[in-house]
Amino acid sequence: MSDKDFAALLERLRPEFAELIAQYEHKRSALLPMMHAFQQHQGYVSLDAMSAAAEMLEMTPAEVEGVVSFYTLLYRRPVGKYMLQVCRGLACTINGAEDIMAYFREKLGVGHLQTTPDGTFSYEEVECLAACDRATCMQVNLEFIYDLTPQKIDEMLDAIRAGTYAVAPMAQTREPGPTWATVPDSEIAKGRKSPGAVAVESPNNPGGLGDASGTIMLDHLITRDVYLFGRTTERAVVDSRAVVETIDERADRAGH
Amino acid sequence: MPVTKILTAGIGEANLRDIGVYRERGGYTQWERAVRELRPSDVLDLAEKSGLRGRGGAGFPTGKKWSFLPSDKHPRYLVCNCDEAEPGTFKDHMLLEEAPHLVLEGMLLGAYGIACHHAFIYIRGEFKRGYEIFSAALEEARRAGLFGRNIFGTDYDLEITVQRGAGAYICGEETGLINSLEGKRGEPRLKPPFPAVEGLYGMPTVVNNVETLAYLVPILERGAEWFSSVGTERSKGYKVVSVSGHVRDPGNYEVPLGTSVREIIELAGGLRPGRTLRAVQPGGGSSACIFEEHLDWPYDYESMTKAGSMLGSGAFVVFDDTTDFVNAAYNLVRFFAHESCGQCTPCREGGSWMERVLERLVHHRGIPGDYEMLLRVSGSITGLNLCALGDSIEPFLKSVMVRFPDAFRSRIAEAVAR
Repeated sequence: MSDKDFAALLERLRPEFAELIAQYEHKRSALLPMMHAFQQHQGYVSLDAMSAAAEMLEMTPAEVEGVVSFYTLLYRRPVGKYMLQVCRGLACTINGAEDIMAYFREKLGVGHLQTTPDGTFSYEEVECLAACDRATCMQVNLEFIYDLTPQKIDEMLDAIRAGTYAVAPMAQTREPGPTWATVPDSEIAKGRKSPGAVAVESPNNPGGLGDASGTIMLDHLITRDVYLFGRTTERAVVDSRAVVETIDERADRAGH
Repeated sequence: MPVTKILTAGIGEANLRDIGVYRERGGYTQWERAVRELRPSDVLDLAEKSGLRGRGGAGFPTGKKWSFLPSDKHPRYLVCNCDEAEPGTFKDHMLLEEAPHLVLEGMLLGAYGIACHHAFIYIRGEFKRGYEIFSAALEEARRAGLFGRNIFGTDYDLEITVQRGAGAYICGEETGLINSLEGKRGEPRLKPPFPAVEGLYGMPTVVNNVETLAYLVPILERGAEWFSSVGTERSKGYKVVSVSGHVRDPGNYEVPLGTSVREIIELAGGLRPGRTLRAVQPGGGSSACIFEEHLDWPYDYESMTKAGSMLGSGAFVVFDDTTDFVNAAYNLVRFFAHESCGQCTPCREGGSWMERVLERLVHHRGIPGDYEMLLRVSGSITGLNLCALGDSIEPFLKSVMVRFPDAFRSRIAEAVAR
């Protein structure tokens, strides 16, 4: 989404947001509803969205991102048009969820927290969805599907590909990458998600807390040059070099 | 045994999402009666005398919870907790989608009972459909003048706000929920101060579960004695039990508290043919297992505690002899490790390390000493955290490790022999 498109979206949402903010004794309570609204229109919560919300709610962008990063249903990076979230809860697991998940991984060719290269599907294995009486279950763009079978899955995937599926696709304003998670691949392989607790472990960060790899900060530097304002030229040069190195490194890893 | 239908009455038979249908069946008459004829303290008395206890997990007496609100601090708030995410629980999900007006009427009565003028319902982010259904019901009720300014021509005002969560189990903990409602990370707060004194926006707040509030409607209709005459000595009334796992007809079954564990399994169609019972987890992912010797025990708060477990949210997961308990334990420990907010070191570190140890057991890579270490580590997490999440890691794991030690030890021995 271009800057101009975002500005237009923001103008369109402003009246709705004003009404929303007025509902609460403290305006900050409007943050989650605003993030849901942005995600509905953008397909994810962009840095622009977080900055705009920060301004309206008298918070800093960092505070907003700190909140957003806590919640697994808010995606800070673009995702596929269909978010497939399969329940890995205990009641589903003892009713065959592991086979269902293996079937999904095989059919889609991607694993937990990954998006298919065509940007159609994002796949995630999620915690108990509170539908244990109809295990195994899943959500497609947050609509429930119960009593999963391979046949049901085939029909669903075919219908989505053919554009005839009953559940509408999510907005997609930017092409998704291979994953929307903001933790390193090694953690994704272990099946972890982002919220706070376990991030990156390094000698400088023994508890594994925070953004020790600098991934999140570097992302900001790459996507929004505004983050360079207010830094000394020297610092900006150092940061920019780090960005370039990271990009190179990622390209190397991707085999380019 | 006969099926009880109080909150579940009409579900699956009538379209209770329609306000007309709900009103035809007597809906909102208790709300109107309360506002016109009763004082807030009358509603509180009814709640107290009925013996109603929290149906979300803690089982705290509802009337008592309300009575902790200081009288001189205003405004005060009611928050309906619909962030149902305890593994195995799916009753609020059903009530929200199938009986939204009953949930709303319960909320209205609760709000009136504590005499507040702004109430919230916090709905789990995954319940998008439920959120839409409830929001539509709320609009119908608003148009019908059931809440807002000068309700039924009295001077009582009440506004309702619906808030959607965004994916975090810990927001079901009441102070985590309050933080989330304030637009913050859903991290639990240090207690005291309890929400009754310092909750939402620093003001007195009551957080009640969906089912708890919904039971206020029949209690007002039929009286506190009707409710308290059912159940056991300290566990009064009815409970919606979410039965799942290895039973033939999993589903929500409403029963008088004190119904036996065996009867609940039978209500859900019993075990699958040819299978034998290994364990029941009677109170959600946070609870310890009970076993066949507890089959004839009454299902109530005290008995489940006495059996070494808890009634919790009423999630009742049945395990037969096909269950791999090592994998089941790994599953739940991974859940808690994943959902830990990370504030308290024992929960954050202990949970994720135990997850890793159990993961290697599942994959036949266990090492000697893992069994003892798991018990030791899980024991040293409990009781050292701000909220109950950390304390929830141990019960299931320990109960099955002690009951089925061979399942764990043989996994380790196999790995060592390789």
